[in-house]
Amino acid sequence: MSATKLMRAASALNRRTLLKAAAAAGGGLAFPHIWTGRASAADPMEIVHWSWLAASDGEVWAKMIQNFNDAHKDKGVQIRMEVVPEEQYVTKVLAAAATGKAPDFGWGTAGKGAQLARDNVTVPLDDLIKASGLDLADFSESSIAASRYPKYDNKIFMLPMDLMSLQPEINLDHVKEAGLDPANPPTDGDTLLEWAKKMTKVEGDKVVRSGIMMTGSGVQPTVTWGIVSAQLGFQRASDDLKTACVNPDAGKKAMQWVLDLFDTHKVSTRDVTDRYKAFGTGQGSIFWTGPWTLNGYVQQKLPFKTALFPKIGDKHVTYFEGGGLELYTQPDAARHEATIQAVKWLSDNSFLWTTVGRGASPRKSILDNPDYKKTGNSWDVRGAFVDGMSFASVGEIPVVNGPNFTIYSGGNFLAKTLEGVWSGQTSIDDAMSQIQEQWQSDLDEG
Amino acid sequence: MAIAIPDIRIDAGAERREIDGAGYLLVAFFALPFLLFNILPVLFGVYVAFTRWSIVGAPKWEGTKNFIKAFHDQWVRVAFENVLFYGAIIVPCVTVLGLLFALFVNRGYPLSSLARTLFFAPTVVSATVIGLVWVWLLDTQFGLVNHYLGYLGIEPVPWLTSTRWSLVGVSIASIWWDLGLAFVLFLAALQDIPGEIIDAARVDGAGRLQRFRHVILPHLRPVISMVVTLQLIATLRIFSQVYVMTNGGPASSSSSPIYYIYNLAIVQNLFGYASAVALLLFILILAVTVAQRLLLREQT
Repeated sequence: MSATKLMRAASALNRRTLLKAAAAAGGGLAFPHIWTGRASAADPMEIVHWSWLAASDGEVWAKMIQNFNDAHKDKGVQIRMEVVPEEQYVTKVLAAAATGKAPDFGWGTAGKGAQLARDNVTVPLDDLIKASGLDLADFSESSIAASRYPKYDNKIFMLPMDLMSLQPEINLDHVKEAGLDPANPPTDGDTLLEWAKKMTKVEGDKVVRSGIMMTGSGVQPTVTWGIVSAQLGFQRASDDLKTACVNPDAGKKAMQWVLDLFDTHKVSTRDVTDRYKAFGTGQGSIFWTGPWTLNGYVQQKLPFKTALFPKIGDKHVTYFEGGGLELYTQPDAARHEATIQAVKWLSDNSFLWTTVGRGASPRKSILDNPDYKKTGNSWDVRGAFVDGMSFASVGEIPVVNGPNFTIYSGGNFLAKTLEGVWSGQTSIDDAMSQIQEQWQSDLDEG
Repeated sequence: MAIAIPDIRIDAGAERREIDGAGYLLVAFFALPFLLFNILPVLFGVYVAFTRWSIVGAPKWEGTKNFIKAFHDQWVRVAFENVLFYGAIIVPCVTVLGLLFALFVNRGYPLSSLARTLFFAPTVVSATVIGLVWVWLLDTQFGLVNHYLGYLGIEPVPWLTSTRWSLVGVSIASIWWDLGLAFVLFLAALQDIPGEIIDAARVDGAGRLQRFRHVILPHLRPVISMVVTLQLIATLRIFSQVYVMTNGGPASSSSSPIYYIYNLAIVQNLFGYASAVALLLFILILAVTVAQRLLLREQT
């Protein structure tokens, strides 16, 4: 045999072997997917749930899901929960919905889901709730109202699960050290500042322990401005959602009130980077935050109690946030029937969630339960978050660009604009002009 | 005696055709996924830059609206200004410090083996961990950096909470993280320099500085060019440290284009506008890289 033929035979053999091997490898890789692609009739129905809860409340929510799965082990339905980072949540839901692979249900926030409702990513729940047998009369009217979007047929797009508000947590050691009475926390702006000054520690001209826990940028000063401005009479949008920045002078006054904490009263410092850690390690005395912090601070045995947010202006209001479950569009709409039943079960059994997890219950039957106040964290730390719901009305603006109006945000348009004020780069007048211009444009867009 | 010579005329054309076929198949395993997951998404991103799109529904053609908006957007301007400052701080520091550390280790001083490990160690840690550690090191009240600066009589510096210092604080963490790679590249290049050349210079009476300037540095020129290029590109794309340490604040004083793009796309779902800003960043990186390569052209 000539060398040429030998070499040709060798290369042909190699190429043939190579192609055979590639085909075998490809087949081997694909085989499991072909085999497992079809579920057997005996497999339970799997309801896919996405959650962004990752703090101590996330642990309680995981227990809720586990309770559902334990109760439905023999009933052919299970929930598979996946945790998604909060700030990526909406984008991932949109991407999943665009490819027909959205989860069956997930967490939503009242007033923040207008875009999802507009784009038919979330499903209106009115008919599903009726068919499931869930009694809407058991829910507080305000919680159901907050779950509706007036611009989209006023339908319900979220089943409320918990109601949260911002209330001050107060370090009891600092209170005693300052000779103050923990049983009579501040109820107005003047007393609040008086307490803050007595509990603030200063070295030279530097605040080393804040009487009022604040940061120089981010969520804390933004939400403080939002609450104080609302108390002083500022409205981010008119009731008919047509006019932005009603009573702008009150908004400007509120910006000055926040600046005065740093520069005039010197009860806060811009040098805090992590407000949760700072309060937890005793670097701050009064910290207004939400019920999602309770488990963490109780577990670390921080000596604190919670009080009602003081009335600084003419109106007694505080920040409101409603959490709930929303259903996402599915290629097979029949899945919604099973999903709403699962959501109904979670709501009916949310005693655990609203005593140990977070927030006040939107369900009257749960609030009326005689064990409600005795279960979970002590009423000293939990009570204000429940009682304070009566004046928690500074919520979301339910428009597509609602996130621009959110006061509980560290990175949205509002927070970034206000950061210029806190750092002295932008004047109060300029900031209010920018806010007014952007928000009016957002309202005009619908 | 005649020796039979085998007929080994090779049909080169036929063999070349056979080898090419198998070669394409082997390359396809890389090329196809690269095309699908790298090139096509980039081309799609360029298209999306001219549209308004929030994932659900088809992109809506907007022409150059996004680019006009970007040129008027103060946050875009701030982010691009910041990244040029980052480049001006980080690139020279990483290059110079990397070279100095490499010179130290190359001399074989005592503890140079330990130093080699210590200088390189940060490179293998993720940017997120680096950021989290430096958040605490640079804490205004309780950070170690301010604690030791206090011994020198320096007042605590608000590294991450002041618009004046936040960019510097993030740069410090970035320099510490990026130093290892530059160090390793310089060390390898130094060890490649023939010892005879340096000995010859010494014999000729050249001092240490003269040997460095006239013998070592010219040999390092290609590596310096590479380190500066790599570091420039990495700095123009800075994100993790900004996200973890300052979230771009306070008042966007430490924001970067990639951080702003992330905010636009992932947080605000403005994919069209985010793609437009990303395209502008790409043009900036390309321009800076070409300019830098022309300035530091390798001598062949």
